[in-house]
Amino acid sequence: MKWRKLGLVFDLAKNRLPEGCIGFAQSPQPVVFDEFVRVYFSTRVLDPTNGKFISEVAFADFEPDFSKVILVSDRPVIARGKLGCFDEHGIFPMNVVKHGSELWGYTCGWSRRVSVSVETGIGLAVSTDGGVGFERLGNGPVLTSSPREPFLVGDGFVLQEGGSYHMWYIFGTCWRSHEEGDVPERTYKIGHAVSGDGIDWRKTSEGSATLPDAIGEAESQALPCVIKIDDLYHMFFCYRHSYDFRTNPARGYRIGHASSKDLKNWNRDDEAIPLEVSGGSWDSDMMCYPGICESRGQTYLLYNGNEFGRHGFGAAVLER
Amino acid sequence: MHRWKKLGKVFDPTAHPDLPWLREFAQGPATLVFDDFVRVYFSCRPAPDANGAYVSNSAWVDLDRRDPRKILRVANSPVLARGGFGEFDEFGIYPVSPIRKGDEIWLYYGGWTRCESVPFNVAIGLATSRDGGTTFAKYGRGPILSYSLHEPFVLSGPKIRRFNNLFYLFYIAGTEWLREAGRPEPIYKIRMAVSENGVVWRKHGHNLIPEKLGTEEAQASPDVLFSNGKYHMFFCYRHGKNYRNAERGYRIGYAHSKDLVVWTRDDARAGLIPSQEGWDAEMVSYPHLLQVDGRTYLFYLGDSVGRWGFGVAELQGELA
Repeated sequence: MKWRKLGLVFDLAKNRLPEGCIGFAQSPQPVVFDEFVRVYFSTRVLDPTNGKFISEVAFADFEPDFSKVILVSDRPVIARGKLGCFDEHGIFPMNVVKHGSELWGYTCGWSRRVSVSVETGIGLAVSTDGGVGFERLGNGPVLTSSPREPFLVGDGFVLQEGGSYHMWYIFGTCWRSHEEGDVPERTYKIGHAVSGDGIDWRKTSEGSATLPDAIGEAESQALPCVIKIDDLYHMFFCYRHSYDFRTNPARGYRIGHASSKDLKNWNRDDEAIPLEVSGGSWDSDMMCYPGICESRGQTYLLYNGNEFGRHGFGAAVLER
Repeated sequence: MHRWKKLGKVFDPTAHPDLPWLREFAQGPATLVFDDFVRVYFSCRPAPDANGAYVSNSAWVDLDRRDPRKILRVANSPVLARGGFGEFDEFGIYPVSPIRKGDEIWLYYGGWTRCESVPFNVAIGLATSRDGGTTFAKYGRGPILSYSLHEPFVLSGPKIRRFNNLFYLFYIAGTEWLREAGRPEPIYKIRMAVSENGVVWRKHGHNLIPEKLGTEEAQASPDVLFSNGKYHMFFCYRHGKNYRNAERGYRIGYAHSKDLVVWTRDDARAGLIPSQEGWDAEMVSYPHLLQVDGRTYLFYLGDSVGRWGFGVAELQGELA
């Protein structure tokens, strides 16, 4: 696959975020409409009680070829989670899919812990106004931890295919201090679940990673998304080492790829999507949090660059 | 009204200075009958940490089957280790509920984690024993019954029973964290799940017991027996706020049902109330029912939710 980079299509130096947001446009999640592409992303506000970040979901509408930003939402699309709920401290990311006349948003909700920094779960919120506002179906998650997936279930991506719903998501395998006394860092892998209605989910291979590791057991894999191109399914995701990944470009996020004919057996071949790293640019140190869509016959890959998307997100178009 | 003859306090956790993991509290008594003795599992706490925070352990004490006031022996270590970094049971195993399954003993338990905005969260785990209930191994690192859309947090207090060739799990699910001066307080209601194999559970999804103290009533410790053609549930309940006192603290309630689904609450028939003086004068709570050798016993906690131990009462007559 050959990709042509379009650069930082959503540049926070040029676009205004909803009031109170202090930066970041993470995990771009596109939904294609007739006249525009709406991209949901997670931005951040400060928690006034302790100065920590809380992720809020907003969107930007683009021309169908991502040449121009048409508008940016002026407020978050979903309210903050309630006290003690799985999504109390933010939503990052939210995968939005069309569902009849509604839009369904699969949220990755965050809540803070004491011994480790965070726990996550996957929730569901519904929009009946074309995607401007979403209401939760309930205060709890639709997918969460289970005996063999003990924590950090998140990053749900949903695809309706052949009369059923597929979800690829991530689950944590361990929290580990790299060195004695260090803050514990997490490792997570991609899993798969199916559903008849998009609400009740069954994990198809609980505790087993969908993809093999490329950089060893301590590889963390995140943000799976899947698209069918011709007769083949393509999964994009990002992966990194589990420690020293924030500022060391050699250990930070890269975008990976796998393909499948049946949505069950995947062949991982990261080298098949050479997204060359260009020195000194917005995505020179890191590429992460991919989102994928087809718009007006072209396939677009959206992703974040350096500093996990602090400065916005970019795009690349598939050259056939 | 059920008439109970109080037999007094059975077990005092503070009487075992040689066991540092058992310094205070003996909560959530739950029994398993053996040929010569009745084993009572309970949960206890070592001394709190520098911040005053407790962890919970679970262990057992064996009582004479003919006279449950007589202690035969006490476990010399907890039955289950707390979980690792980030796991749902990292900070406590409390309470537990045992049941025989073939040659094994299965133990359902509340696993406690610590959160930032609220003090804790709880989900239900499973552990199994092959040595007659002395030691247990976890079924998995994650919970067997966890949060869902309409049961968003605090799934705790499991009571496992077998009726009509099915496993029934009675438990509580949190509905709301009340913001109180000091720390938030959870409200929880009695719920039920059903399973054919004890592993895969189907939640009933509704509160079983009508509220008596309004929506801010917290209900706990639902234990059920079948007798004289109907199901009998004993549970406890308290006010939502400012409940650490005699007026608003825990009382024991009662309900009956023909089908385990529709319950008629009739607290006046519970029949177990605080004493005029002594170890259970402030509150009675966390009931557990045992039928053995034609007798019916109710184990329960006294003042300070079992800080100084649990006791037992014997039913005069039958559950009717």
